Amino acid sequence: MDIDTQDPIIAARSAQWSTYLIAFLITSFIFATAFLASSYFNSRRVADVRTTQDDISTDILSLETQFDLLQEYSCANVAENTILPSALQTLANRLAYLEGQRASNTDEVVRLKRLYSLLEIKDYLLMKRIAAKCGLKPVFILYFYSNEGDCPDCEKQGYALTALAQTYPQLRIYSFDYHLGVSALQTLIAIADVEGELPALYMNGQTHYGFKDVEDIEKILPQLKTLEKSATSTPATRSTPSTSSGRASSGQATKKK
Amino acid sequence: MLWATGVGIMYVFLFVSLYFQVFMLVSFIEVRRRPRHPDLIGPAGYADDDALPSVAVIVPCFNEELTVGATIESLLALDYPEDKLEIIIVDDGSKDDTLLTAQGYEDDPRVRVFHKDNGGKHTAMNYALAHTNADLIGCLDADSVVSPDALRHITPVFADQRVAAVTPGILIKKPENALQHMQHAEYSLSVFNRFTLAGLGSAFITPGPFSFFRTKVVHEAGGWRHGHSTEDLEMALRIQEMGYLIANAPAASVHTGTPRTVRALIRQRVRWTYGFLRNAVEYRHMFGSRAYGNLGLIILPMALASIGIAIFFFLRILFYLVQEIEHFLVRYEVVGLSIMPTFDPFYVNTSALWFVIYVAIALVLVLIALGKGLGTGKRGLPGGTPLFVFFYSFLVPVWLTMAVIRAVFKTGVRWR
Repeated sequence: MDIDTQDPIIAARSAQWSTYLIAFLITSFIFATAFLASSYFNSRRVADVRTTQDDISTDILSLETQFDLLQEYSCANVAENTILPSALQTLANRLAYLEGQRASNTDEVVRLKRLYSLLEIKDYLLMKRIAAKCGLKPVFILYFYSNEGDCPDCEKQGYALTALAQTYPQLRIYSFDYHLGVSALQTLIAIADVEGELPALYMNGQTHYGFKDVEDIEKILPQLKTLEKSATSTPATRSTPSTSSGRASSGQATKKK
Repeated sequence: MLWATGVGIMYVFLFVSLYFQVFMLVSFIEVRRRPRHPDLIGPAGYADDDALPSVAVIVPCFNEELTVGATIESLLALDYPEDKLEIIIVDDGSKDDTLLTAQGYEDDPRVRVFHKDNGGKHTAMNYALAHTNADLIGCLDADSVVSPDALRHITPVFADQRVAAVTPGILIKKPENALQHMQHAEYSLSVFNRFTLAGLGSAFITPGPFSFFRTKVVHEAGGWRHGHSTEDLEMALRIQEMGYLIANAPAASVHTGTPRTVRALIRQRVRWTYGFLRNAVEYRHMFGSRAYGNLGLIILPMALASIGIAIFFFLRILFYLVQEIEHFLVRYEVVGLSIMPTFDPFYVNTSALWFVIYVAIALVLVLIALGKGLGTGKRGLPGGTPLFVFFYSFLVPVWLTMAVIRAVFKTGVRWR
């Protein structure tokens, strides 16, 4: 008799342990594969971010060197080679996403974040020097946030800054995790005179506490008007999907878990 | 900490669910390879028509004047020796013209029509049980129709004396709206499950439409009980408890009517789940017991656990959804609807969780396709499958939760 769907099925009632074991092995195999694949993709991401940081770090070093040689060259050359704010922004978003993923390699992500903060500070200082010497008028915002639940408005602030960055592609927003243990960052916090209250925005030599929406910031930074607006004038149709605020971005990331 | 615990629980539940799916698939493959084994299958049917057992089909009806005619006609069209087939219509106190419609068929010598006061489905079945001497007794709900060859697939299985009940392959009567197409996919999955469970000796439901019983076993068991409005589940558990086998003949096709509205569907499923939960309490000695083989060791415990797991996952999804809406509202308040999401492969979620979920969904699709193959002999997936996979994830937890709450408070459930 051939086995086909016509066969009514009858079975003895006893359990066959081999079936249980085979199913267990297959399920374990699927789980192991899932974890391996996931960890592979995560390390790919981390490697991706590290490469970008290496590039930016090289660019900054090159710009610095160029700047030191400035006496012999025109300012135009230097201005052309500054790091684009969007490059820093993209990096910030990706780091925030990795942080939000809470994947196994948290230490690695924190290391990358520290390096990122240093790169931001270096870029900030260098840009100030270039600006002074070459008569450029870059607009800076230093943004201090926290991911540790002590900053309920940081998410909102992140969205507002993202929208602002998208309206003014030239605007240089540097975001710093207030609690990150990087000594250079702590020095910067001391210089900017930021006290515990977050979010804090350092603009035009003054620290502003609490949430500031797009209009507030435009009022505080009248020189924004001198910057080019993005082609798609209304805030934010450019590609940056998230924000430089760790809190906002990590909020966005966690939901995907 | 709380977050980590939640994730831990989620992975454990996911492992358990996936394990069960894989277990069913592995069992299916083994069952398909098994029927040749002389110890596991009885003599292949009866020598000739004269040896066939006599059969009584009960049609319990309550206010089914619209559908009962088609049901009786499909029974009269059954390919089975006339002198061995009885059709017993029991009008369970209908308030419409069900009785009149049924009496219209009494000219046929196979048809007998009874009327009694309303007492519920199990009382109609017991009424018929008391009025027949047939070897086998089965039931066909008045909203279902059978294929002409259905009995020919079922009765031979009873040649094996250990078999006390045989379940059919249940399909959906002409799915019309989207909800019925979803149920169509779901029923394909049920065909697979019923087949595999029978193969594991673990069937715990003998569904209303066209399941058959050895009459003497039903007498031995003392007839049908109310069974918390799921007499078909209660009877199956009782047969398992008595040590008989419940077999499945997926090629015996029955087409049954299904709820057309979400409300009706939820009511039906709350009744099923409620019945399972209440009967689970009564038959709790079977859970985890090695005496009942696979049924006690994995099938019943898993059927119970899956209710909790489904509710857990639903709450988790709901939690994320609420969080997501919160973020959206905050963003809306600050910058309006301006930030357009764009695709960047960097942000594609590659957590292990999603890999496992994808595998689990793929497995469900495989099981549905296998069920369709078993039930109809056709390949592929029913059209409603994508809808089923998506919307049932939200619908199922609703009726599960409602049923759990009702079972805890022992509220009872209505049929309609």
